Amino acid sequence: MIRALDNWLDNRTGYKALLHEALYERVPGGARWRYVWGSTLVFTFMVQVITGIFLWAAYSPSTQTAWESVYYINNEMYLGNIVRGIHHFAAQAMVVLLAIHLVQVIIDGAYKAPREINFWIGLILMKIVLALSLTGYLLPWDQKGYYATQVTTKIIGATPVVGQQVQEIVQGGPKYGHHTLTRFFAMHAGILPGLLVVFLAIHIWVFRKHGLHVKDPDHAPETTFWPDQVLKDAVACLGVLAVILLLVFFKGAELSAPADPAEAYAAARPEWYFLFMFRFLKFELVEHFGLAFGALYVPGALFTFLVLMPIIALKKQGHAINVLFTLFMIGAIVWLTGLAMYEDKNNPDHQAAIAEAHRDAARIQELANRPEKIPVEGAVTLLREDPFTQGPRIFAKHCASCHFYNGHNGRGRILMESDPNDPSKKIPIQPTAADLGNFGSREWMRAAMIDYEQHFHTWTNASWYKEKSEEKDTEFLSPKPGESEMADWSKTHREMLTNPKNRKHLDGLVEFLAAQTGRKDLQIDEKLVEVGETLLSEYTLAEGELELSCTDCHDTLGGKFELTGDGSEIPDLAEYGSAKWLKAFISDPGTDQFYGSVNEMPAYKDKMTEREMDLLVRWLVKDYHPTEVVDYPVVEQNQNRPELTTQPAEQEPGGETTAANR
Amino acid sequence: MSEEHKSADSNPPTNEPTSSDSNASSSVSASSVSSGKPRRNFLASILATVISAVLMLVPLVSGLLFFLDPILRKKGGDDGGSQNGGARKDDQGFIRLDVTIDALPADGAPQLVTVYDDIVDAWNKFIDQPIGTVWLRRMPNSQVIAFSTICPHLGCSVEHRQAEKDFFCPCHTSAFNLDGDRINMIPPRNMDTLEVKLKEETGQTIWLKYQEFRGAEEEKTPV
Repeated sequence: MIRALDNWLDNRTGYKALLHEALYERVPGGARWRYVWGSTLVFTFMVQVITGIFLWAAYSPSTQTAWESVYYINNEMYLGNIVRGIHHFAAQAMVVLLAIHLVQVIIDGAYKAPREINFWIGLILMKIVLALSLTGYLLPWDQKGYYATQVTTKIIGATPVVGQQVQEIVQGGPKYGHHTLTRFFAMHAGILPGLLVVFLAIHIWVFRKHGLHVKDPDHAPETTFWPDQVLKDAVACLGVLAVILLLVFFKGAELSAPADPAEAYAAARPEWYFLFMFRFLKFELVEHFGLAFGALYVPGALFTFLVLMPIIALKKQGHAINVLFTLFMIGAIVWLTGLAMYEDKNNPDHQAAIAEAHRDAARIQELANRPEKIPVEGAVTLLREDPFTQGPRIFAKHCASCHFYNGHNGRGRILMESDPNDPSKKIPIQPTAADLGNFGSREWMRAAMIDYEQHFHTWTNASWYKEKSEEKDTEFLSPKPGESEMADWSKTHREMLTNPKNRKHLDGLVEFLAAQTGRKDLQIDEKLVEVGETLLSEYTLAEGELELSCTDCHDTLGGKFELTGDGSEIPDLAEYGSAKWLKAFISDPGTDQFYGSVNEMPAYKDKMTEREMDLLVRWLVKDYHPTEVVDYPVVEQNQNRPELTTQPAEQEPGGETTAANR
Repeated sequence: MSEEHKSADSNPPTNEPTSSDSNASSSVSASSVSSGKPRRNFLASILATVISAVLMLVPLVSGLLFFLDPILRKKGGDDGGSQNGGARKDDQGFIRLDVTIDALPADGAPQLVTVYDDIVDAWNKFIDQPIGTVWLRRMPNSQVIAFSTICPHLGCSVEHRQAEKDFFCPCHTSAFNLDGDRINMIPPRNMDTLEVKLKEETGQTIWLKYQEFRGAEEEKTPV
């Protein structure tokens, strides 16, 4: 019955002959592992087609939905991260396998006549695969893909004569937008795979015509493609699949923050297999000759050499030259790739940029995962309106020239300046105002009370401080920072407050001050607050008595903050550390409600937009969607903290006390 | 590579080549060169087939399961606008409409009202969007009845014809009287009524449980 059907089918289609043709190709010298590479490429391509079509069913190419749909695939859809992961890593495997296949063909001399046509078709296939990688890299519309692809399209634009036009056609306009994605998607999922199938068919067909390129036919008895060679091919493919799956499970396909043309991406790098090109373009000499030289002419010349190889091989020693060229190219690529990786690894700025990219990528996942989901305008707006993301950037832009944040500029970078003693050396810039990393926290409040001068010691680096310290004529001057009334209070009360017997009172005072911030994340202990509040009106500790209570000078402390601009030049501490207070302070710290005439900080009310101010302040008081993202590192304070400059002898007891306190 | 090759090559046939001969069938007979090792060939064929199947099944099956996401994934609590959400919705799933009972014609003429709710669509959540319309009628006893505008036949929109004093679906001419009872046999059932309740707020507000039902069936089954 089955046999009859089989015969009928064969009679009508002739499939058996086709199958026989496909499976029983001669393999002189026996099946060998060295023949597997072409098959692994076909296999990875099939994997790409299968996973690609399924991903297609979930992907949405537009600037407001591309990242969002990939996020949805990755995080919400059933097995989405696995299917995308396979597609992601199989693409990279394909490039690696392609390189192996090409190098083997050259070294074995399989490119020579009569196989030169097939060699050229192979080179076309290589270009198609690289184009597939490139177009696919942009589709998630994340920062990584966006900025890496920008470079590629700029290179296209640098092509002489037609560059500009080609670039616009490729990206669907003068700038990236919806049509960049629809076009890249059409190329990635339609045009390029279609071309690949056509050329692959020709490649295999021509390959069959000339048969395997066998170096030693006497290696083993002749066999056929099925099953011996197929088995070896299958095992090799299984190995490739295993590597891909390991990467999927242990590394996972990355999705960085959504593309934002207004948000520089300092961590931009091409996919790792293009790193050598990237590094090559960075050479000053290459730069000197222009982008078209480094990015088009040199690679073009090298590729032309590849194309000419079968012709070069006609000459005596031609094959040797080809092999040497190939080995040299491998060496150069390995060297350049290694160099690029080494340099990046040892570049603290690049590492900080990568850390920030990871922070943003993790943060957007948290934001997109809220019940509010992603707004129609796109996920990028979530990051733009997120204090946790924007606060550090605004801080770095406006505040970091004086303040540090946990020892860095807010974004994890240590700012450097030339060493005045040795201009060739770079040394970390010293902060000239307080580190705001723990602003408004209990530690902040405690330090401000018991160690005021040390807490604000970074003032000593500021030129205004140095000038004041050097002033001989003290008559008209405001107190020097080290001898302000608050510093004096701190010095005289320090011993009493830090007395272990008064611990509860100090804690109460700290808790009372922390309560003024109104911050939810601090989880205020109301009973302790009461202890602090009582102390302020009753002055009595377990041991000793306050000479002056906080409210004796800061008379609004404990009340509601109101912006008046008036006061006694003693900072108004009503709702100290709250968003409201901080906003008023940053807007204009020099009013009499705050520091008045002794203020040194610029007023920011006209230097920052309302939006920037809001984001900055909310970040500083930690008013944002809670996060578990790995934040910028806390740079060890003593690492960059300047030694407190020992005051000159005539510089009175203030300096000495501080030294003693340390 | 060559080492592996050798080890594979030197792997001797473990069993005597016997019954497998016939099973290995055409592949063995076709390749005269390997006919000396039919057993080994048979094993190789089986292995090659099995591994090739695995190779193709891994992407294919994971891709297919991924494609079946709509039926395989466990829905989160806030997936689907009807379960949860909108500011106008009470805890029983009733949505406050924009009309009060006083705004409805006293003579019971049907009034078309748009229903608003949050819509969750994959990665987006749209706040307070029109999700559908209903026909509302004020009844003499100060009650309100609501009909879905979706025709129980095949889901077109049911219109109200003033002259004929009926509901009428222009697609396949389903017709219903103003009480929602079908007056021809084209629809499989009467118009779908929706649960309504009145709350005394600023006037009597109308709250509606918005649902859609499967079409072309005699039974009224929520989607």
